[in-house]
Amino acid sequence: MNDYICGCDYLNGDGTMSKLSIVIFSGTVDKLLSAGVLSQAAAAMGTEVEVFVTFWGLLSFTKGEKKMIMPKEFEAMGPALMEGMKREHVKSWYEMLKEAKEFGAKIYACSMAAGVMNIKREDLDPIVDDMVGAAKFLADAEGGQMLFI
Amino acid sequence: MTEATIIDSRGSACPGPITDLARAYRNSKVGDLLELWATDKGVQADTAAWAKKTGNEILEVKVDPDKIVVKIKINKR
Repeated sequence: MNDYICGCDYLNGDGTMSKLSIVIFSGTVDKLLSAGVLSQAAAAMGTEVEVFVTFWGLLSFTKGEKKMIMPKEFEAMGPALMEGMKREHVKSWYEMLKEAKEFGAKIYACSMAAGVMNIKREDLDPIVDDMVGAAKFLADAEGGQMLFI
Repeated sequence: MTEATIIDSRGSACPGPITDLARAYRNSKVGDLLELWATDKGVQADTAAWAKKTGNEILEVKVDPDKIVVKIKINKR
C-alpha cells in the first residue's frame, strides 16, 4: 500500500475539510510520541495535517539514528516507558509520522531555527518535505486547529 | 447482502486500528461493509468519532472476550 493520496480527497461527511497544524518545538521523545499519535490519528480521520518542526525538535529530524532524549524529571522512567511501548506494540513517533504522511500529512522544518542550529537542507531526514518560514506555516494553518508541542 | 471486509487490527495500539480502518476506507465504495477487529480499548469511541466525521455508519459493536468487533457501513466516499 504505497499509493499516495492527498489528505484533501477525504472530506468530512458534510463535505467540509478539517485541518490540524502541529508545532514540534520540544526534542524529548515523550513529546515527539504525542505529536506522532495526534498526527497519525488526525490523518486517519481525514484531517489535513501539517507539522512544523523547530528548535529542539529539529535535533530529531536530521538524518541518521534518532536520539531518545527523555525529559530530566522523568529520566528514571525511561526504561519502563520503552518496555511498556514494546509490550503494547506502540510504534515509534517516527513510524507514526510516516503513517500520517501516507495520508497526505506534510512535515516542514523551520528555516530560521535550522540556520541557528547550523542544520542544512541536506542534513534533514527524508521525512521532512521542505524547509520553510513561519509565514508559510501560519498561512497554511489559517482556519484550522493548532498545537504547540 | 454484501460480504464484510475484515480488517484485523488485533494487537495494534491506538491509533493503529483507526489507521487500518482509514486505509481500508480508501479502497472501499459506497455500500461496502467493513468489519474492524481490535483489542485496543479506545476503538469503540474512536470508530464512533471516525464514522461521525466521515459520514459513515456504525452498524454494530460486539465486545468479545478476546476482541472488539465493529461493523461499519460505508455511506460516503
